Amino acid sequence: MIPSDPKQVKQICFDRINIPNVHKLSVAREHGAYEFLPTVLNEFDSDKIIDEVKTSGLRGRGGAGFPTGLKWSFVPRNTGKPTYLLCNADEGEPGTFKDRDIMRFDPHLLIEGMIMAGFALNVHDAYIYIRGEFLHEANVLNAAIEEAYAANLLGENILGTNYSMNLTVHRGAGAYVCGEETALIESLEGKPGRPRFKPPFPAVEGFYACPTVVNNVETLATVPAILKHGGEWHAAIGIPNNTGCKIFSVSGHVNKPGNYEVPMGTSMKVLIEEYCGGLQHGTVPKVIIPGGSSTPWLTAEHYDVPLTYDDIMKAGSFLGSGAVIVMDETADLVALTRRLSHFYAHESCGQCTPCREGTGWLDRIMVRVQGGAGTADDVDVLHDAAQHMAGRTICALAEGAAAPVLSLLKFFPEDVKARLAEKSA
Amino acid sequence: MTYLFINDEEVEVTPGTSILEACRQHGVDVPYFCYHPELSVAANCRMCLVEVEGWPKPAASCCTPVSEGMKVKTQTEGLKKDREMIMEYLLIHHPLDCPVCDQGGSCKLQDYTVKHGASRGRYAEPKRAVINYELGPFVNTCMTRCIHCTRCVRFADEVAGTGDIGVLNRADHMTIAGIVEEALESELSGNLPDICPVGALLDKPSHDVSRPWELDRHKSTCTQCPHGCDIQIESRGDVVVRIQPIEDSPEPWICDRGRYVYDAFRSDNRILQPKLRQGEQLVAASWDDAFAKTVELLKDKRVGILFSPDWSIEGQTAIRLMRDALFPEAKIAYGLHRRDMRTFAFEEGFSMTTAQIEAADHVVVIGSDLRQRLPLVMQRLRKRGRAGKPVSRIGAMNYRTDMQIDRDALIRPRDWAAVIARAMEQVSEVGKQASGFEAWMAAVPERHEAGKILADALLSDGCALLVGEEIRAHEDAAALIHGLDLLMRACGHAESESDGRNLLPEGMNRQVLSATHGDVRVSPGDLFAAASAGELDALIVIGSDPIGDGLFPTAAKAAFDKVPVVQIGSISGELADRVDVQLPAAAYSEIEGTFVNMEGRVRVASQPIKSLGEERPLWKVMMRLVQVMGGEVPVVSLDELRAVVAEKLPELGEAWKAGTIDQVLLKPRRNRNVDYLPAKPSDAFDLDVVSRYSLYREGMWARASALLSEAGRIHALDDLLVHPDTLQSLGLEAGEHTVRTFLGEARYEIGTREDVSPGVLFIAKRGVAGDLSDVSVASIEGGRS
Amino acid sequence: MSSETVRFSDERLAEIDKLVKRYPSAQSALMPVLHMAQEDFGYLSMDTQKMIAELLGLRLMQVREVVTFYTMFREQPCGSYLLEVCTNAGCMLNGAYELAEHMCNTLGIKMGETTEDGLFTIAEVECAGACGGAPVVQVNNVYHEHATPESMDALITKLRTGQEAVSEGGAA
Ligand SMILES: Cc1cc2nc3c(=O)[nH]c(=O)nc-3n(C[C@H](O)[C@H](O)[C@H](O)COP(=O)(O)O)c2cc1C
Ligand code: SF4
Ligand code: FES
Repeated sequence: MIPSDPKQVKQICFDRINIPNVHKLSVAREHGAYEFLPTVLNEFDSDKIIDEVKTSGLRGRGGAGFPTGLKWSFVPRNTGKPTYLLCNADEGEPGTFKDRDIMRFDPHLLIEGMIMAGFALNVHDAYIYIRGEFLHEANVLNAAIEEAYAANLLGENILGTNYSMNLTVHRGAGAYVCGEETALIESLEGKPGRPRFKPPFPAVEGFYACPTVVNNVETLATVPAILKHGGEWHAAIGIPNNTGCKIFSVSGHVNKPGNYEVPMGTSMKVLIEEYCGGLQHGTVPKVIIPGGSSTPWLTAEHYDVPLTYDDIMKAGSFLGSGAVIVMDETADLVALTRRLSHFYAHESCGQCTPCREGTGWLDRIMVRVQGGAGTADDVDVLHDAAQHMAGRTICALAEGAAAPVLSLLKFFPEDVKARLAEKSA
Repeated sequence: MTYLFINDEEVEVTPGTSILEACRQHGVDVPYFCYHPELSVAANCRMCLVEVEGWPKPAASCCTPVSEGMKVKTQTEGLKKDREMIMEYLLIHHPLDCPVCDQGGSCKLQDYTVKHGASRGRYAEPKRAVINYELGPFVNTCMTRCIHCTRCVRFADEVAGTGDIGVLNRADHMTIAGIVEEALESELSGNLPDICPVGALLDKPSHDVSRPWELDRHKSTCTQCPHGCDIQIESRGDVVVRIQPIEDSPEPWICDRGRYVYDAFRSDNRILQPKLRQGEQLVAASWDDAFAKTVELLKDKRVGILFSPDWSIEGQTAIRLMRDALFPEAKIAYGLHRRDMRTFAFEEGFSMTTAQIEAADHVVVIGSDLRQRLPLVMQRLRKRGRAGKPVSRIGAMNYRTDMQIDRDALIRPRDWAAVIARAMEQVSEVGKQASGFEAWMAAVPERHEAGKILADALLSDGCALLVGEEIRAHEDAAALIHGLDLLMRACGHAESESDGRNLLPEGMNRQVLSATHGDVRVSPGDLFAAASAGELDALIVIGSDPIGDGLFPTAAKAAFDKVPVVQIGSISGELADRVDVQLPAAAYSEIEGTFVNMEGRVRVASQPIKSLGEERPLWKVMMRLVQVMGGEVPVVSLDELRAVVAEKLPELGEAWKAGTIDQVLLKPRRNRNVDYLPAKPSDAFDLDVVSRYSLYREGMWARASALLSEAGRIHALDDLLVHPDTLQSLGLEAGEHTVRTFLGEARYEIGTREDVSPGVLFIAKRGVAGDLSDVSVASIEGGRS
Repeated sequence: MSSETVRFSDERLAEIDKLVKRYPSAQSALMPVLHMAQEDFGYLSMDTQKMIAELLGLRLMQVREVVTFYTMFREQPCGSYLLEVCTNAGCMLNGAYELAEHMCNTLGIKMGETTEDGLFTIAEVECAGACGGAPVVQVNNVYHEHATPESMDALITKLRTGQEAVSEGGAA
């Protein structure tokens, strides 16, 4: 079911987004917040919830697209240790800005989703790890959580049941890598955010070596609708294996940048032209980065690609976090790549040799190339250095750092060569 | 077992092993930097990549567990290129200063560059600048060479327990840095240069002295503490330039005391030739003249003998042979740290290996500054701590451990009996009894709550009791040890297969000494008293320094003033001012010999370095002495001497024969028939005296070492310490006060510290307060009356 | 400042007490407490770091590692108003570099510098997570989206004359 008329679109996470003051508990409740929660707490059990989420086909919205129900089913039970639920609100991937809107406009949706997920996983302490810069969003969330505690939606014996859960907002402090789930865990433990190697996986040994689930804001915010309407309902939206709606954060050279929640399978072209008011210059984009700056580039050839995990992968990239960065013909791709290389060189946690040294190296070469001081050898070196970072490190940051450079070299070698020629000219 | 294929060969490893370990175990070479078998896995260097069939990308083998049927390849074209690139990444900021780098020749980076690197680096940008940091007297830093493997950080956290090295910043301006005021707060700091795979952390004392390829290596045994580590002495010619641990020995580390004492080998304090007293001076003499004088002093005289237990077993046996041949009446004392010479229910030595102690259900440390005494055992306890296994402790001082101690109690040494009686009460209540409990408890009027900590630990399935110097040096030690023995028996920790009784010895070889010298042994105090009382005509001191060390300095000085002293040894020490003849005996680095450590593990020193002067192995000096004194020389070769040892210690004899000497574990003696009840402590003085053992200052070798002395200065505490309440109850404040003992009165600087038990006078700096070492009780004078 | 003078207020200490209880271990409270300290003292001096280490029962090195890893923690004081211009992809494509240059000119300082009067510090930052409103400038952590040279000049003038106070309270 892929309606092409924006007005017809079913919205899940953004259902209440335009209602004034819906961040207030009373307003949110008037519009259905927590309505179904008593039913879940009283009539559902872990297995039922996990089954519904599995049936729904929901895949993680944080980037990797891992099936959420499956992830939850990996959590060992009765280990004698507590299980933790961590909401990943680090939203650091350049181009991504969707979770922020959920949190600042409809915080109760996330809170309700976390209570339900927490209940399913028998969690008694849950945390929202929010990027440090989102001070306003943290304040909105804290106010909402306070209201929820007062209304017995959080804390001891929620709504008179014997389920109890605490929820704490924890601010990061400026480190992109803390969005990676094991770095997030380290950070939440009060340490530098350096990713852990796996195994062990967080589901088994995460926060303080206890079973831990890390889910993205959007993922958790989808849970209330799934439980309310049923997994089947969610599975019917989008296309098989790519179900439900997804928020796309569109930025760059479009006329109406912003967040758009559309059913999976909507085409990229429809998203850009019908929702975002088309390009600033020209009719066909030069480059589309489909899933945040760490995903390989798509070119005009794939303008029509359906927005699904599978189709974008087939086109050579990833749906990632759904951050679509659009560039029209005016874009300086060498400059853009240089800027992204700088980002990764700044954000590498520093532990893996290829990433620590490789990101800095790429950055410095790109500065030289952009400044017209590149050499013909640089193309080879860039290629080698980027190629051997990807997939050889603890986390995927290095792969993300390689992506723009490898894309630039693959699709626009002539742009690079033109820069190299500048010096000699 | 898990079966997998490494380069098409099927191998078998325990489940959960990493691919890298599986390769190492089967002799397959995989390069790595950050991995270290003794440290947690960091997986950050990414040099250990291997390919696994069916996996899209290469895997870091150090952090990837094996799985059944896995097909691993360690040599492929792809990996070759990967390794080349890792080397290129690592070298972009690494200086090209191998020719001037101390690590050159033993550098992983250099080796791998040759083996795995590309022919040229392509990095054309500026290299990063990195600041060095101060790590104290033993470690130099050259941080531009750092490859960020974090081995040193993990070492500081996990092994040293000090956590004073960390990772600052991130990305490629990430740096390894230390937080150090004057020196690393660790007695294991010298291991840092060893674990650094490149030349970023370097051994400071041997800095710029030599290159690895110029060195000769000698396997020897360190006698600086009862751990008796296997060591490799590196020398250039006959000059020792470095001491290192030996790979594949039970402990991969050695402590700073054992490592840096080597400068004492060449210090002015060495006895390198015979000397004779002429007035104030000791003057060099020939062996013949020195022996002539010795004969004059000793011939037909009543002689007392004091020796250091740190000589090799062969040396000590030779001392016994000399005594039997020349002075069959002579009393012998060894070890300067025991007041109570009655038989102990369990004698000095461990019944457990350090690995067993690490694995025990519970460990209780009774009155010991373990970090200073046995740094490597302390390190094992830290490993326990990280694995969540409990360690409890009772003692007179909250000695620093650099780990989380689970339960802790501060007590005065005079409370030990009350502690033990309290524990007896508790274990009796749950039906654990030993005959003798009743009488023992009845002899003790008080109970001390710290006994609960002891009892709780004893009630676990397996319990290692580490009994330290506060008990061993106690005036009533035999009774206390008997009490502890009863407790251990009652709780089932005294069976031979689960024996948890470990009495920390002061030095090496304790398990064999009672067999070889037990029958003629007296306390050094008695020996000195006899000399002072005119019952002896002369003393022979072989390798001990009773003025600088131990519990009897005042008594020793009095005795030396009374009778002539013949000193035989490697180091002069503080007694040299008072001796008449000095005869040089070879140092432990210069001999072939056999030693036994506190676990009963036999250590063999087999490749001596050349003597520096005229010194001879101790056994030869002893035999020469017998000869010049007109006795019948009992042995003329090391083999004959060993045959004598084998008579007294058949286990050693058999092992020598079978060539399995390094697998022997000699158990300490158990004496079931002792039955001592605690004596009522006298309360003439209100404070118990406990003195600190500093691994940088204790022992004549350490004091002769400039390196250790420097570290000792940095780590020194106030002269004397008491708990603030102790002074407060006297109406006094920290400062100079008069201390009264049965020896008289003297003024000392007294500081306060919460870590000292109330009622204890803690001698933090021996030397300064040396005379207090003779006493076990004292009072502070003054204040309100 | 010596460590005696760096002290949290009693209210803060009470707040920290409560905060610590929300986590399985006090170390987790380190980042929130550093945020509070930065809010209260302006930056994280070595004395502040020592004080916090003691307060939470951590080693100084554990605090140092965290302070230096995260970009939002400052070991040096900065201007009263911290202007952080995002120049990452979304903003760059919408004129962030030109905006940044303009702001530097207006303030008469270079990127990363503080004005002589100690009022403004300008810095280039990574993606602020608001690319839909590019270009984005954060002023003391308050987002200004769709920023233009004109809107920023106006803001700077207002701040300079004290007509507008920017802050959004709450550190934890
Ligand atoms: C470098 C890096 C940065 C990441 N940043 C984020 C992020 O900001 N937000 C997020 O939800 N997931 C992020 N992820 C993905 C997380 O690791 C993890 O997959 C996700 O939080 C799981 O939640 P989900 O299953 O609900 O998607 C990042 C991953 C990497 C490797
Ligand atoms: S890939 Fe980069 S960011 Fe990720 S763990 Fe390694 S060094 Fe850190
Ligand atoms: S040894 Fe495996 S990553 Fe360093």
